[in-house]
Amino acid sequence: MGSRDYMVITNNPLVLDRLKETRHVVYRDISYEEILREVRDRIHEGHTLLSHPLSGSVKPNETPYKSIMISEGKGEVDEASLKLIENAIQACRKFIFKSDLYEAPVYDDFQIIDLTLLESGMASADAG
Amino acid sequence: MRLEMGHIYIKDIQFAAESKIEDGILYVSEEAVRAVALEDEKIKSVSFDIAKPGESVRITPVKDVIEPRVKVEGRGGIFPGVIAKVDTVGEGKTYALKGMAVVTAGKIVGFQEGIIDMTGPGADYTPFSKTLNLVMVCEPVDDIKPHDYEKAVRFAGFRVAVYLGELARELTPDETKVYETCTIKEGMEKYPDLPRVAYVQMLQSQGLLHDTYVYGVDAKKIVPTIMSPTEIMDGAIVSGNCVSACDKNPTYVHLNNPVVHDMFEQHGKTFNFVCHIITNENVYLADKQRSSDWTAKLCKMLDLDGVIVSQEGFGNPDTDLIMNCKKIEAEGVKTVIITDEYAGRDGKSQSLADSDPAADAVVTGGNANQVIILPKLDKVIGTLDYVTKIAGASEETLREDGSLEVELQVLTGATNETGFNKLSAR
Repeated sequence: MGSRDYMVITNNPLVLDRLKETRHVVYRDISYEEILREVRDRIHEGHTLLSHPLSGSVKPNETPYKSIMISEGKGEVDEASLKLIENAIQACRKFIFKSDLYEAPVYDDFQIIDLTLLESGMASADAG
Repeated sequence: MRLEMGHIYIKDIQFAAESKIEDGILYVSEEAVRAVALEDEKIKSVSFDIAKPGESVRITPVKDVIEPRVKVEGRGGIFPGVIAKVDTVGEGKTYALKGMAVVTAGKIVGFQEGIIDMTGPGADYTPFSKTLNLVMVCEPVDDIKPHDYEKAVRFAGFRVAVYLGELARELTPDETKVYETCTIKEGMEKYPDLPRVAYVQMLQSQGLLHDTYVYGVDAKKIVPTIMSPTEIMDGAIVSGNCVSACDKNPTYVHLNNPVVHDMFEQHGKTFNFVCHIITNENVYLADKQRSSDWTAKLCKMLDLDGVIVSQEGFGNPDTDLIMNCKKIEAEGVKTVIITDEYAGRDGKSQSLADSDPAADAVVTGGNANQVIILPKLDKVIGTLDYVTKIAGASEETLREDGSLEVELQVLTGATNETGFNKLSAR
């Protein structure tokens, strides 16, 4: 798999800024859970999930940011991808919403963490 | 492989002009440990404090907890590939300072969690309320990146722990325990009638602040492999994990991994403890597939009858846990998995982000969403600035009387997934 074989669905402006020149980045100004739903819709269209939707120990509803890798190409609906994304959407609801409670510099940290988790997945994909 | 673990019981820690251990009292020269911590130019300043069980003290945000040890005989040194040069460890003689810990604290990222209360209801949930803690709060140089700060604090903690461990080199241990493992062939000949059991340990390896190191290698980059179970006792595995206080494995837990120690108790009695298998928890799904395939393959190649699998973290690792469980069971090897739960504040939600009928033997470390009230304590080591912003906290966190309403998630080690904690369920 090379860097042209996947796209990144994200609501993290830092990811857009850092990767827009070298990767296919789909940026949406929406919530964490809405990013998961956007990915779910694309899985129904035949894209395959490539990185775990709950990557990172920072919980949904704590961090507002999420970046997920899916395949550029489409095929049959991938059942394993569907199960993972549905479970992730369900898991979101267990956490009290507090993504809007932080002071400004904390959002920079959340963005950096989300970017580095994504980079860790991209490093594996680009090596393959 | 045979390792003699000498335990030196520390009954008190005091600051003094000279560092030494005498009659079970650890005297620490602040000047000396400060010099050790400041060897890294990325650390601008460091302050040391002592927190004792029962004191009205709250330590936060905690990064790592480390038990000082020293290698007195045999190959290598403590924390090989990290502090000591790379050499295979796990045999010979090692001393550990029991009853105490080095605790590193510092605000590496703005949402960092990790509370150790030395008294009150919070103390009941964290195992590190029972240790005498030498706490070091490290301040970095200006404009440092989080990953450089994390690395600097990680190494500073190890250096201080090794410095303190060295003080015990010439002492006579209060107690000695011997851990001995067989080669594959020896084990089969010695225990022909006992089931062959191994420990599969999943290491946190998702990326920045979510890392674990094996002999200095980032666990993200390993393929599953086997170790002698004694290697961890010399610090072969260390934590670089700053996130998810309740269910991460601090270095202290790696050194004292209760699964390994409990399995040694049964070794040669109820089963043959064959080996320690390590694997990772990467974010890339193809990596998960490769690692779980390899873990299952190793279990089959080793002719195992059963394994105990422990995970580290929430969400992403749930998928690795279930993949490991399913694939190992499919090879005809029985599994028991150890996890914790995010079952919602009322405990009624689905506990894990993944599941499978093969996972029919599960040990839980407790529900991390469980709510607890932490009373106001007299002294804070570190900073409370971020307590209201940490995992499990909400807008109601800081109450009028100064108490905190939080979820167990915030407490270091509260729902540990190797069983190094107080909670479970029946």
